[in-house]
Amino acid sequence: MKQTRKLTGIALALTVATVGQAVRADEIVIATTGGLMRNMMEEYFYLPFAEASGTEVIPFDIEVPDQWARAEGMARTGDVEFDIVTATGPDLVGKAEILETIPCDDLANVKEYALPGACQPKGIARTTGGMVMTYNTDTFAGNEPRTWADFWDTEKFPGPRGLPDTGDRDWWLPTVALLADGVAKEDLYPLDLDRAYAKLDEIKPHIAVWWKTGNQVQQIMRDNEVAITMSYSGRALKVIQDGSPFAMAWDGAIRDTGYLAVLKNSPNTEGAMKFIDFFYGSAEGHPGFIQAVGYATSSTIGLSQLPEEEQKLYATYPANYELLVDPDFEWIGAHRDELRERWTNWLLQ
Amino acid sequence: MTRPGFFQPNGRQLSSAGILLLMAPFFMLIGFAFLYPLLSLLSLSVTEPEPGLSNYVRILDNPLYFKVLLRTLWIAVLVSVLALLMAFPVAMAMVSSSGPMAVFITAFVLLPFWSSVLVRTAAWAVLLQRNGIVNDLLQVVGITSEPIRLLYTQGAVVVAMTHVLLPFMVLPIYGALRNIPSDYDRAAAICGAGPLRRFAEVTVPLALPGVLGGVILVFLTALGYFITPALLGSPKEMMIATLISQQLREFLDWPFAAALVGVLTLFVTAITLVFSKVFRFDRMLGGQL
Repeated sequence: MKQTRKLTGIALALTVATVGQAVRADEIVIATTGGLMRNMMEEYFYLPFAEASGTEVIPFDIEVPDQWARAEGMARTGDVEFDIVTATGPDLVGKAEILETIPCDDLANVKEYALPGACQPKGIARTTGGMVMTYNTDTFAGNEPRTWADFWDTEKFPGPRGLPDTGDRDWWLPTVALLADGVAKEDLYPLDLDRAYAKLDEIKPHIAVWWKTGNQVQQIMRDNEVAITMSYSGRALKVIQDGSPFAMAWDGAIRDTGYLAVLKNSPNTEGAMKFIDFFYGSAEGHPGFIQAVGYATSSTIGLSQLPEEEQKLYATYPANYELLVDPDFEWIGAHRDELRERWTNWLLQ
Repeated sequence: MTRPGFFQPNGRQLSSAGILLLMAPFFMLIGFAFLYPLLSLLSLSVTEPEPGLSNYVRILDNPLYFKVLLRTLWIAVLVSVLALLMAFPVAMAMVSSSGPMAVFITAFVLLPFWSSVLVRTAAWAVLLQRNGIVNDLLQVVGITSEPIRLLYTQGAVVVAMTHVLLPFMVLPIYGALRNIPSDYDRAAAICGAGPLRRFAEVTVPLALPGVLGGVILVFLTALGYFITPALLGSPKEMMIATLISQQLREFLDWPFAAALVGVLTLFVTAITLVFSKVFRFDRMLGGQL
């Protein structure tokens, strides 16, 4: 309610600004999913940024599909209200025409501290995790699975398995199926869907749980409903830190990065870029933020401040980062409908 | 058998205009909150993406959607039958008992209404999980040697739905049974009918309106059931309500979801019409003689 009012206020201020050409907005509006991520961004970055720059950050809680629906409406009417939005990898391709290009080389801190690949033309990495294989270390004591081929090997690694039926499983699962079938990481895309689904047919009878939410994947690990499952790395991290006997195998985990993107013609594009630069350069913010949300930022001055043992639980830890699959969002974005239909039909069979 | 009607306080009868006025809020609510959204959704299914029946053709084209519909019908039938088998003895016990026992049984039937469907479904998830009570018990007794998969199966969905919908079966049957004068049973006994024959030829036929009311309530509710299959089932046991929600929320394909709603509505309407044709509706819901 308060945010809506503020937003209207900004819209008004913007109108005044456009008419008068004098008043400069000293606020930026950032659309993110609410809850933990919003609260921690606010605590570790929004408020320090406001203190350092005088530009106030106004968080706007919204789910991602809803956010895009509104952003596209705003682009059509020309009345843009968000400065920064939350984007997934495919969004950077699919929504490219309403997104401002990030001047990666002109932002000093980004140039200095960003991990390779973190700054894309249409968005910059906020947090990175992975769709990672997570297994019970008691069940597989002395015989630990390492790769997706091991996930498929039900004789050597017996036990109930879990896979996601949510998010981007329509390309996550064909991708890991191909890895299990022996395709090299570099040769995955374009995905050979016939081969991938033939491989998925093999594992289908062994899947005890098709999990639907991040909460559920944690619950099935804690309750021993599965011995091995694909999980969001941040969710697995919390289960491990809470003392459950689980570990992550990073080989072939799919990089899952949440991006910050800037809308074209946003009310305060300059402020948005300044925030991005601040985000990458703020050494104080990162450690606490990373520990609170369970996902690592892509600034090199971030994760390295944590104890070495703890760093290993995050996707951007160098030894893990080089094992990740880097999805080809260009191809995925172009084949979205086909991927979805194939997935839905396969699962319902 | 004459009884004072609802609209006859102190013997005065309300005019039909008065009755209509009293019913107006109900019909207005139905109109605004149910008919209008339903019809606008259905119109979406024949106008987008282009006018015509393309969305319905898509449902017929893909055998998977038909499979989901058949599965939904099958689960609804299964749940109705199971609920009937369990509800009838309970309703009989409610009618024949009195005092604290009657209160006790009634409380147990109504108790589930005091907690949300979500809580009851979650409770089943706890019972059926891999290291839950049911699996532990099976192993202690020696029926199984290791935990078996109970959760995320069709069985889990059917059991939990039967439990959740049971009161809707018990109450109409109880209503019908309570209205059977005990004289009939005694008269049949005097004429020499044994307990089984009295049950089959007196109690059951007279309870039939309540049974049909209960079956139709449970069956139609089960057809559109969402929470329980979503939480306890797996995608392999997807029911039509989950499919509709997936099309709406994940694929944002409103016209196609609307067409699925159209098909479901068609089925529900057809089944209701057949029921009301075969069995007279007025007798069914009231359960009166």
